[in-house]
Amino acid sequence: MNACAADGPLAPARRWVEADGVHIDVRGLQPPGPLVAILELVESIRDATPVIVHHERDPQLLYPELAEIGWRAVRLDAEAGEVRLRLERVP
Amino acid sequence: MRLAAAAFIGGAASRLLPASIPFRFFGTAVVYHLLAWIALCADPQSVPRFAGGLGWPLAALHLVTLGVLAMTAIGASLQLLPVATRQPVLSRRWPAAIWWLYTPGVAAVALGMGIPAPRLLAGGAVAVVAALAAYALLLARNLIGARGMPVVIAHGWAALASLIVVLASASSLAGAYVGFQGFARGMALAWHVTFAAYGFMGLLVLGLSYILVPMFALSGAPNERRARVSLSLAVAALLLSASAASGVAPEALRIAAIGTGAGAVALHWWLMSVALKTGMRRELGRSLALVRIAWFMLSASLVAALGIVLAAPFDGIGALFGLLLIGGWLLTFLLGILQRIVPFLASMHTAPGTRQPRTPSSLTAERPLAIHFSCHLTALAFLAVAILADSPWIAFAGAVLGTAGALAFGTFFAIVVRRMSIPGVNGKRREAPAS
Repeated sequence: MNACAADGPLAPARRWVEADGVHIDVRGLQPPGPLVAILELVESIRDATPVIVHHERDPQLLYPELAEIGWRAVRLDAEAGEVRLRLERVP
Repeated sequence: MRLAAAAFIGGAASRLLPASIPFRFFGTAVVYHLLAWIALCADPQSVPRFAGGLGWPLAALHLVTLGVLAMTAIGASLQLLPVATRQPVLSRRWPAAIWWLYTPGVAAVALGMGIPAPRLLAGGAVAVVAALAAYALLLARNLIGARGMPVVIAHGWAALASLIVVLASASSLAGAYVGFQGFARGMALAWHVTFAAYGFMGLLVLGLSYILVPMFALSGAPNERRARVSLSLAVAALLLSASAASGVAPEALRIAAIGTGAGAVALHWWLMSVALKTGMRRELGRSLALVRIAWFMLSASLVAALGIVLAAPFDGIGALFGLLLIGGWLLTFLLGILQRIVPFLASMHTAPGTRQPRTPSSLTAERPLAIHFSCHLTALAFLAVAILADSPWIAFAGAVLGTAGALAFGTFFAIVVRRMSIPGVNGKRREAPAS
């Protein structure tokens, strides 16, 4: 895995690393903050490491952007009130 | 576990309208855009010194304002506001019903102005006012249920209030052609122009820009306090202008309105510049070039407005003001944004049955957009020269170029619609880091 360790100036989202990938929590950010934070993280990843997104809603505007850079989103089970996605590079 | 891109469209809590709804508004706007330029070709003699009155230039003006600008604003706001403000789509039938009422209404208004046929105009105006009133109710329900994005919501409310003024003044102006006595014509006309262009459309554009421009540039949300100051200045400018139109110290209040409006525009422009400078995406192509030109034209329209207030010794100042405001600012901005959001929305609607959505870039045909870019800007330049030189021939040449540009834009739209219905491979991708 090779991701930027520090948050970028435009994306004050919480990030951490677990066995299943790099996690990013964008809940509470003002739009388009979540979109920017997620794409900033995704574009910093140089290998096949997946990104786990913790969101408060289905990020509909994210999907075309992901498709444009060759990534896709898979919905994961999550607690009520949370939308959790695994973002992965399209093989 | 499920593939989110394929699932989000059909979900019960989807915030997306069926593709057929926003795209019918956008497609109709594309057709009326072409008809507007054709209407201008029909009577180029009247263009350089146009100052109102029934005829094809007035029909062309309303094909743009009602047929292109408001038509697109309805489709875009009904689709984007629920997405941006975290709420499910309230109704699918009402937007469709509005389209069925509004589209023939606009055609009747334009034909009634062009022929001219006052009764047809009045009948069309009734349909248009009813459709816009229904849209106002839908917009109000969207704004009441909105969560987050307070600046965008505030712009939405101000635009809605302006729309009410526009509907009242439009009813008065159209009614006068069939003997209905409403407001004094001069006052109604001043309210109509100001609140339609700078109020309803202008504030909707400024508000949606706080979503769209950072989204395109991939930048943070603009400074909320400064955006609120910009909105306050814009609303103050509208109120000053309305008071002036009512006969209260007209010259002084109009100058104050222009100065206050210039402050609102300068602040908005600065916020947008910050978004563009700090965004992750720097190369935004032709669409943003049009948006930047439109912002400049908005400022230029205020200078022309000042020329009208100060009685500049030039007969074409009114026509120049209209060209800068409607063609230069609103139409140019909208076409710049439309060429970006149409493929984007189309890509959000191409997922059913496929594992990957089509990318916006794979849906976009660049060649027609390049032709449109050149034709549109050259057409505006020709019309400006025609007004300055009082030349119907140059106006005709400009209208022909505009028609060619509108055809190219229509080709771009038709290609997007065709490609979104064809499952295919995403041929090109934006540059991304290698694995």
